[in-house]
Amino acid sequence: MAMEAASTGKKERRSGILQRTDVRAGWGLLTPAGIVILAVTIFPIIYSLFMSFNNIQLTTNGFQFTFTGLQNYKDVYSAPLFWHSVGFTIYYSVITVAVELFFGLLIALAIQNVERLKSISIIVMLIPWALITVISAQMWGYIYNGVYGVLNAILQGLHIIHTQVNWLGQPFTAVVSLMIADIWKTTPFVVIILLSGLQMIPKDYYEAALIDGANAWQSFWNVTFPQLRGSIALAGLFRILQAFGIFDLPFVLTQGGPGTTTTSLAMLGEETLFTNLHFGLGAAVAISTVILILGACLIFLSAFRGMVGEEAQ
Amino acid sequence: MKARTRNWTAVVAIASTTTALLAGCGQTQSGNTANGSAAIAPKQNTVSTNVVAPTHLVNYSHASGSIVWAESFTTGPVAKQLVAAFEKKYPKIKVTMQVQPSSTDTNRADLTATISGGSSTPDVYMGDVIWPAQFAHAQLAAPLSDYLPKSFWNRFSNGLVQGATYNGKVYAAPLFADTAFLYYRKDLLQKYHLPVPTTWEQVKSEAATIVKKGGAKYGFVWQGADYEGLTCDFDEYLADAGGSVLTNGKASLNTPAANKALSFMRSLITSGVTPKTVDTFQEPQSENVFTQGQAVFLRNWSYAWSDSQNPASSKVVGKVGVTALPTFAGHGSSGYSTVGGWDLYLNPHTKDLAAALQFIDWMTSPQAQEILAANSEMPTIKAVANSPTLKKYSPVFALLPKVKFVSRPSQTPQYPSVSKAIYDNVNEALAGSVSVSTALKNANSQINSAQSGSGSGGL
Repeated sequence: MAMEAASTGKKERRSGILQRTDVRAGWGLLTPAGIVILAVTIFPIIYSLFMSFNNIQLTTNGFQFTFTGLQNYKDVYSAPLFWHSVGFTIYYSVITVAVELFFGLLIALAIQNVERLKSISIIVMLIPWALITVISAQMWGYIYNGVYGVLNAILQGLHIIHTQVNWLGQPFTAVVSLMIADIWKTTPFVVIILLSGLQMIPKDYYEAALIDGANAWQSFWNVTFPQLRGSIALAGLFRILQAFGIFDLPFVLTQGGPGTTTTSLAMLGEETLFTNLHFGLGAAVAISTVILILGACLIFLSAFRGMVGEEAQ
Repeated sequence: MKARTRNWTAVVAIASTTTALLAGCGQTQSGNTANGSAAIAPKQNTVSTNVVAPTHLVNYSHASGSIVWAESFTTGPVAKQLVAAFEKKYPKIKVTMQVQPSSTDTNRADLTATISGGSSTPDVYMGDVIWPAQFAHAQLAAPLSDYLPKSFWNRFSNGLVQGATYNGKVYAAPLFADTAFLYYRKDLLQKYHLPVPTTWEQVKSEAATIVKKGGAKYGFVWQGADYEGLTCDFDEYLADAGGSVLTNGKASLNTPAANKALSFMRSLITSGVTPKTVDTFQEPQSENVFTQGQAVFLRNWSYAWSDSQNPASSKVVGKVGVTALPTFAGHGSSGYSTVGGWDLYLNPHTKDLAAALQFIDWMTSPQAQEILAANSEMPTIKAVANSPTLKKYSPVFALLPKVKFVSRPSQTPQYPSVSKAIYDNVNEALAGSVSVSTALKNANSQINSAQSGSGSGGL
């Protein structure tokens, strides 16, 4: 370690002038992107945080702020609807991400093993992911529609059900229907990430396992899975980030109903901000959502690391 | 800046008191029957409008310039026709059209973001009739009554200006009105020798009879999804049962009338007259079931008439009749219909005030209102609305003298939360996941906390 540091230190000193111009050019190249990130990510987050501590009135001169400390948070946390949305968002995210990782892994393994159809199956699979969610949600709306929906027609044709099921109009089926649409859309994303992970596992690991007499399950559990954990963590992380922000599917399919059953945190925030025009409260909902997402990601990462770590040992 | 803040707080305080009063008187008087002379006359609003005198009267008779108009007509060439006719009459003013999202809520979000950000365009925009209080409160709309002479407001049918008034100032010019009707299959009623229903009980029994005899798959379709439209449907049954959302500014849904209204809606589903999926239906879904020939009755807005007569999308052309909404037995000859429609609002940041006012003036003139009527939009000015020739444009216009109107309790800036308290809970009761009385109890307390406009009621 020490030697390494020393050697790089020497190198730096040697190429000092070159390094400095390099650094300058580097900063120059980074600045435009940095400004964009600052403008569209950092600034809105800080501004939202600021908004969430204020009572905000819209006036012809723009926003007028009155500092109210934690009042917006107190108001938000005393609303049963907020906690309902937190609950829905959490179990919706946990279940969909878990199922997506499971199916994603199965499909990735299947595709990996079918050399000939690999490219075509990747393309076919990517269609749900590539479709704009609002459009695919509209399509699911036609499938789930209780009167002229395709799903009821098929199930009735197969004599599985005898009366039409009101898929989106009953709490339990509405939640499950949303989850299915979500899983259909985002599993391909998980597959792509896992597939690239699979391709990076050296072939000789499997040969070694084979020589040691490992069966398929053993070589999966002792070679594939530990080697893939980085990819699984990555896919899971991305999916959790997205799932906690679930908005477009329930917005199109259920409008948060029946009642408030499928009202996610993002929907609640949007409604508070842009329908009710309560900007302080809406900002408090948004910031709370961000904290929840960060917490969920940390929990996921540490749990995942712990689990894989044990297995690897 | 300090003075402005204090001033504003005072305005809010006064506004909220006035709101309570307005909403209160609006609702208590909704029990009266409308007179037949004016096309749209929500009875609660016949108190003559006390518009405050203009403070900055603008003479726009020689206006010139260029303005942007945000329009949200969902179909047809009507916006283009209007602009062409306007530019022909006022060649010195150029109007650029900006097409808005067709979803009302998305449209509101878009306008809010644009105008609160200080944009000077659109100069004039179309907005829902339930927006004035909220938009005035948030200063997203300029007080038109500050710039236009008091006499300007006399042209409109009774009650419409009151609906656009907040705290004594008028924030919107009524562009076109809308209300709901009962559409029915006249061929089916004839076939089974049934009369056109005038009570809700009749709708239910006739629908059940026809479905039982195999005349149609469903009896009666309407809007039961978790959205603003459900508030409209519910308000109608509620007014028919003799109730109102607010009484003296307080929620009054823990009443026998409210129970009767919601119990009836739920019974339509449990009796099989209405498909249980109605709790996911907005206007297009319910209309689709009807125009595909699968339902006997449909509750919908005036545009459903022309849709039902369009052979490209309707299988029931020539088989449809339309009548005023029914009421509960023993509650008069016809029921209440929700007042809907769209207004013209002025952007407070407009850079071309005179041209914008000239445009608003012309859009509410007989020439423009005739163009709207010809496109099946209900005119808002007396000169056109009361003209006997109006019914040639649509048979629904001939029914207007029979219609009784009920306004939504939108005189409060917190109306979106009030309405959400209604439609969330009513929708849950329709889905059967809570009882009628629980739903009403929850709605009642949520409306009261929403109306306070602060705290957790703002969610």
